[in-house]
Amino acid sequence: MPQAQLDDPEGTLAMLRDSVATLASRFPGPASVRAKRAAGGDRDAALWQAMAEAGWTAILLPEELGGAGLTLAEQVVVSEALGRALISEPVAISAVLSSRLLAEAAQSRERDRLAAGLVDGSLALAPAWIDALGRAMTAQTTPGGGFSLTGTKRHVDLALSASDFLVTADMADGVGLFAVRAGGPGMSVETAAGVDGAVIGTVRLERCAVPVEALITSAPSLDELLEEPIAAARVALAAELAGIASRAVEITIDYTKGRVQFGKPIASFQVIQHRLVDMWTDAEFACAAVVNAVETLALGDDRAGRMAVLAAKARAGDAAVSVCRRAVHLHGAMGFTDESDIGLYLKRATGLNATLGQPEDLRLQFVNLERAA
Amino acid sequence: MAAAQDWNALSDAAFRDAFRDLVEGRLPAELRFMRKQRPLFDEVAVWYHALAEEGWLAPVWPVEHGGMGLSPAKHMIYVEEWGRLGCPRIPDHGIGLVGPLLLEHGTEEQKAYYMPRVLSGEHVWCQGYSEPGSGSDLASLRTSAVRDGDEFVVNGQKIWTTLAHCANWIFALVRTSRDEKVRQKGITVLLIDMTTPGVTVRPIANLRGETDFCEVFFDDVRVPVGNVVGEIDQGWNVAKSVLGHERIFLGATTRPEIAIERLEKLAQAKGAFSDPAFRSRYARHRLDLYDLGSAFDRFAKVLREGGELGADVSMLKIFTTELYQRITEETLTLADEDARYFDDIDAGNGKVDAMNLFLDSRAPAIFGGSNEIQRNILAKAVLKLPG
Repeated sequence: MPQAQLDDPEGTLAMLRDSVATLASRFPGPASVRAKRAAGGDRDAALWQAMAEAGWTAILLPEELGGAGLTLAEQVVVSEALGRALISEPVAISAVLSSRLLAEAAQSRERDRLAAGLVDGSLALAPAWIDALGRAMTAQTTPGGGFSLTGTKRHVDLALSASDFLVTADMADGVGLFAVRAGGPGMSVETAAGVDGAVIGTVRLERCAVPVEALITSAPSLDELLEEPIAAARVALAAELAGIASRAVEITIDYTKGRVQFGKPIASFQVIQHRLVDMWTDAEFACAAVVNAVETLALGDDRAGRMAVLAAKARAGDAAVSVCRRAVHLHGAMGFTDESDIGLYLKRATGLNATLGQPEDLRLQFVNLERAA
Repeated sequence: MAAAQDWNALSDAAFRDAFRDLVEGRLPAELRFMRKQRPLFDEVAVWYHALAEEGWLAPVWPVEHGGMGLSPAKHMIYVEEWGRLGCPRIPDHGIGLVGPLLLEHGTEEQKAYYMPRVLSGEHVWCQGYSEPGSGSDLASLRTSAVRDGDEFVVNGQKIWTTLAHCANWIFALVRTSRDEKVRQKGITVLLIDMTTPGVTVRPIANLRGETDFCEVFFDDVRVPVGNVVGEIDQGWNVAKSVLGHERIFLGATTRPEIAIERLEKLAQAKGAFSDPAFRSRYARHRLDLYDLGSAFDRFAKVLREGGELGADVSMLKIFTTELYQRITEETLTLADEDARYFDDIDAGNGKVDAMNLFLDSRAPAIFGGSNEIQRNILAKAVLKLPG
């Protein structure tokens, strides 16, 4: 029921939404999540390949890099639909963040190789930008003309499947983004189970030697390097979370209509009805916040755009987690079973909510931005 | 009266400018940003008559009836500017409810008689719906109208009748017959001259110490049959059809905006923004308000594009009224021991009406269909829940 109401004069967004639903019927999200979890994996390779073939791994990659060169509106439609279907691939990070990082890089053979692999699904790109405490990644130039990377990155999606890591590292005069091929000398990867079924990696580099071409772009600071890519990824995450919230409301409405106690469907009880209305309202607000982010960013006012993105991720994250919590509760003991899909929605919501900023932090950033003016 | 013009043809900016010129030219300074939320007719009569003279009194009435004929999109700007420029609320039941009611269901004679008298201010209207035993369950209403020749004889009582003490006409829902199966049947809309013998008005003081609403008693009040609007016994449907796009205004961001402005003022004075605990709580309210704006825009866009609102618009009313409460509660928390006082707080940088708004914020969650009734409506009409 709730859905991001974006302007769609040509009906292209509706078609895109339908095509995600079609793919979801071929690759049911909950089954994919359970298989991935059982295998200790970090992605569903067949599903990712199908998404690449549909063009959804490079929606925000500029056309000159071989991407679709579309806008956040299209990304939001896809991400929201993936969220609804519980297709739990790291699209916001591996596809969106990577696309926007590559878009910042000047033309090079290495950049084009990575872009082409992202487009056709032959490469799995794993952005790694979060330093472990006391192990900040540094890049030192080596006599041979390349770089030596040392440090530890945490919370890395696709750490097992990655073909290439996109690693941020401090340099003498700023921050560099390095493409580091997986499995080379000096690299070790540990994983731990993520709440949503995929493992999450810690990537350790010890004097990991990379050629000079590995430096695909640089910036004076990490913020300047990451700001725009992270904003895009946050909007994609917000859309996915809004989709999760919306679908969790629908699943719970269906369940409570079918669950009979005291001779009546429990959805006929006023206390249940009012809770469902509040859950539905939260999902609607999440969708409206996502639309506001897309529309405000399109207007081009930098500060207003940043605030809208922070608000959208905060609202959608809060909505998804709290809607799913209440959804589990309204499923009764069934909701607490692993067999029931609603718990998978709660876990996915929790994981995405904790990705790229929890609501409390995002709200404070919003207020800081607003009050600094 | 100014010559009729096509306001809808103006750009939004030009329309805003025209409104601002009007306010600056005709609204006395002492009436701007009034503390009193529901001033009596005489207190704002200057503004009422000025609006009428300039042709700005009835924004959505058709031009041939002396209105501006505004589209919903322009009407939203009108309401927005009204609030932004600090225009006082006028007794607006005649403009907002009686006019649309007559346009939809009135006879030509009724339109010709009543509508000009609303514009001139000769008739000041109030709305007689709720009764002591019929609040949320309005269809249980019992004020009776018994036919006696060409007249109805009305007996009963209305309550929570806003501004009845400055009105001289009331449009009331009365019971003309009873259907044991369908209680909504047998209700009729009746226009009653309040100067008729047998009408008594008693103001009720509210929590804020003001008297916005009243009880209205009817004791053998004789009303001509010609004062029925629409069909006899079909008043429920007549009354229900009146509110169209105006329902969006119940969900406007105005009240929480006013409240957060006070909270910010007090926080500034107390240096509370450097307290991380306060900042965290403030951030939640601030973002709730910001996101309410995004949700409001979704429905506003529907109206701008010529669409019609669905029942789902009720979500805005629930959210804005509960947010208004949360923010005013926060302001009292911040006021610390100053929250013991009824009067405004001296914040050092001016007065803050913390208690006034806290008390005021109790009301909107109750009126216009309590939030529980709104949730019932959403559960049935939007979520299609059973029972």
